[in-house]
Amino acid sequence: MNIQANPPPLPVPHVVKGEAIYGVEQNYGRFATPALDLNAMVWPRNEPAPARDIPVAEIIDVLVAVGERLTKDPDGSLAEALERSVKTNPLPRDVLERSYASLGRIFNRRLMEFQVEQELGGADVIDGWREVTTTSGRLARIRAFPTRLVHIIAGNAPGVAAQSVIRGALTKCVNLFKLPSNDLFSATAILRALSAVAKDHPVARSFSAAYWRGGDASVESKLFRPQFFDKIVAWGGESTIRGALKYVGPGFELVAFDPKTSISMIGREAFASEEALDNVASRAAFDATLMNQQACTSSRFQFIEGSVADVDRYCARLQAKLGEQRPTASATPIPLPSNVRDELDGLRAFEDEYRVFGGYEGRGLVVRSDAPVDFYPDNKIVNVVCVADLRDAVRHVSVATQTVGVFPAKRRVELRDALCSAGAQRVVALGLAQPEGGLPHDGFYPLHRFVRWVTDEGDRD
Amino acid sequence: MSVRHELLEAILTPGVFDKPYPDLEAKQLEAARELFAVRKDQIGLLRRRAEDAGIAEISSTKDLVPLLFAHTAYKSYPQSFVDQGRWDRMLQWMQTLSVDRTDNVDVEGVRDVDDWIHRLREAGHMVLATSGSSGKCSFLNHTRGDSAMKRRHASVAVGWPFVRGNKDRACFFLGPSEGPNSAIEASQNNAANFGRPGDIHFLTDEPLLMSEISRAAALRTRMAEGTVTPDEIEAFEAEARAKAARMNTALNAMTELILARRHEPIYLTGMWAQHMMIIERARKLGIPDGDFNPQAVVSAGGGVKGVALPPDYKEQVARFYGNVIRPTAYGMTEMAQMMPRCEHMRYHRAPGLIWLLLDASGERLLSAEDGPNGVVEGRFGFLDLLYEGRWGGLITGDKVTIDFASECPCGRPGPTILDTITRFAQSGDDHIGCAGTIDSYIRSSITQ
Repeated sequence: MNIQANPPPLPVPHVVKGEAIYGVEQNYGRFATPALDLNAMVWPRNEPAPARDIPVAEIIDVLVAVGERLTKDPDGSLAEALERSVKTNPLPRDVLERSYASLGRIFNRRLMEFQVEQELGGADVIDGWREVTTTSGRLARIRAFPTRLVHIIAGNAPGVAAQSVIRGALTKCVNLFKLPSNDLFSATAILRALSAVAKDHPVARSFSAAYWRGGDASVESKLFRPQFFDKIVAWGGESTIRGALKYVGPGFELVAFDPKTSISMIGREAFASEEALDNVASRAAFDATLMNQQACTSSRFQFIEGSVADVDRYCARLQAKLGEQRPTASATPIPLPSNVRDELDGLRAFEDEYRVFGGYEGRGLVVRSDAPVDFYPDNKIVNVVCVADLRDAVRHVSVATQTVGVFPAKRRVELRDALCSAGAQRVVALGLAQPEGGLPHDGFYPLHRFVRWVTDEGDRD
Repeated sequence: MSVRHELLEAILTPGVFDKPYPDLEAKQLEAARELFAVRKDQIGLLRRRAEDAGIAEISSTKDLVPLLFAHTAYKSYPQSFVDQGRWDRMLQWMQTLSVDRTDNVDVEGVRDVDDWIHRLREAGHMVLATSGSSGKCSFLNHTRGDSAMKRRHASVAVGWPFVRGNKDRACFFLGPSEGPNSAIEASQNNAANFGRPGDIHFLTDEPLLMSEISRAAALRTRMAEGTVTPDEIEAFEAEARAKAARMNTALNAMTELILARRHEPIYLTGMWAQHMMIIERARKLGIPDGDFNPQAVVSAGGGVKGVALPPDYKEQVARFYGNVIRPTAYGMTEMAQMMPRCEHMRYHRAPGLIWLLLDASGERLLSAEDGPNGVVEGRFGFLDLLYEGRWGGLITGDKVTIDFASECPCGRPGPTILDTITRFAQSGDDHIGCAGTIDSYIRSSITQ
């Protein structure tokens, strides 16, 4: 008899208030976790946030040390997390390797200072009380006060965990991360590094991370309460957002990093010369393949002005470049899901209206059409849609559109107001879809939303 | 007679599910070989799949695996063709999945998708449609002959092993009498096989309209584009409410009729929520549980998504009808020869249905050796040999367990499918990403 032996479940550690917890009491099949200790993971309202009175400058020092440790990885724990991620994360090994290798660089001093400056207006308002005088002459003091956050983090890029740690630490909040099953190891690896560089430091004690199955009411109905948390920071997935909404109410607020789609808009200027076309195709391919097209910033639909013959030339070049290896993309073929293959086969009946560039082997595929396709272009598939004028494409933009990469710059400036009116949150030069810190994300400043803005009004004493 | 026809005709052999069919596996392989040899030159998509997989002929059942279509193949047309009424393009698409030529269909003056289906049917293409939660409909072609063969199959399989249709019962179907949908087709078949002419009752003669579904889809598209007014949404929802109210009235009237004739051996099918409404009325009338004729045939099913039901609705329905005959079968729109369930809660197949149990990814064919004692879990696929109008090979999203043993605990021949059918989720876990489609959450919801 040929019984297939299942590999033993991968152990997934938890972190409880800075302390790594190991165990495999809870078996989920492919992986196992320690038993969930809900009592240990909540911060009662009557206890101050441990990092409340730690100056931001000191927190940044700690985070910089975390970044250095992640880069050097002296005890190999990041390397171990990488190996385990390779087994559970859908991203290919080389993309994960490069993401893990660059994790430390996210903990960049100047970047974090820029974030505090941009998003909160300076460290003074979170380190203490910033005094203002109102129009009537009343003295008032404002402070960005730490809150208690439960984060449902996304697992499509390890950087999400790093960015969430940075945001949670800079705001001095207490943070519980609910780990996603597509990235079970990055957040805990970062938190273990935090505890290693700053053992028992209030910032380290401000973080917990655990896995439970998303939507598990026996866990979430107990945790997602204003008694224990002030805000739920929910990334991605309609089901996550809808799941979180069940618990949202007065005192328990939703901060949603909604699921988003990103697009590109390419003006006829792209066809000015062969060189220009090649450059545009390279930039568009970079934007499309960010995190192997698993990110919200990855471009999926590209609206373009030009004759069919010109657009076909563009499509051919774009297709060739989708398969290239980049820091944020792998050359490893991604198998085409059968439903997408069915859709493409259906479109092949109309080769005049729907032309498919590239094969089904998963090295990049482009569909050229006059209207957006019905399916969701994913795994290095781009739908290039011909339009007479880029302005005609604005009707395809909604609040679910995050990044719009536009070429050339002049057209970006012309289009940006219309795009933002339609709901888009980010208009960038084609090729700049990869986001940078300190700017608004999904239409808001995350640090600003994480804190509670409180006032103290009246004379000083 | 070809081997394929021999297997299909076997459904008429008395006790077809009760006795082993000699040399069935070899004959099924031969029938698949015959069928593929003809269909690969007739069906565009099958030819493409065969070429991609490098399969020129079927020499083992493994060769069928890359030739199975997913349900998505039957809705792979661009929705804009429907929205813009480009029916000639839709025919061209339908051709790639059909055996018969679709250019015999006159699409001049077609108003909507129901009109288009009607014209297809007039021309002999007995299209069935399904509506997915996405709002995009699937269209499956088959011939008039296929329809007749399906009815013939149902005459043997529905009710097995407890009862067989004898055209002598009062029949109550809690759904529409007309419409291009497999549930309605099944009701029509069961009415023909079980019903006493003149005593067959459908909830409504208002036909099921696919255009209502595509209108909802078109409205959602416009909602995403931000061009819908609140009044338009209200008008759409008001229409849906009015229809729900009409159906409610009809159900109330039919409930009185059903309860009045509960001591007769009636034939009744409805959805869970409808049965619960019948129970509620019966309670008001003081009708106790278990007061139906034990020869009555009652079945319940349908989605329960979005319907408020008590957690024990199945038990309540079971208690209410009591010791009646409750035949069950496993099938789907894409399958002609659905599989009835025996007393031991296992599903049996007709000789003309080839089972293909696949691994979770749908790539590898599994066999008895892949599980302990020949009991194997996998993704269900099949080749239904019945169809003349299209390819009958399908890979499903169903997770099934097949017992490959040559005998079922009921004593009849195996293999059998256990009563543990569930769906393969997109992914077993809670993968979370920040990328997503502009799904219903932005369009907000509309009542259908």
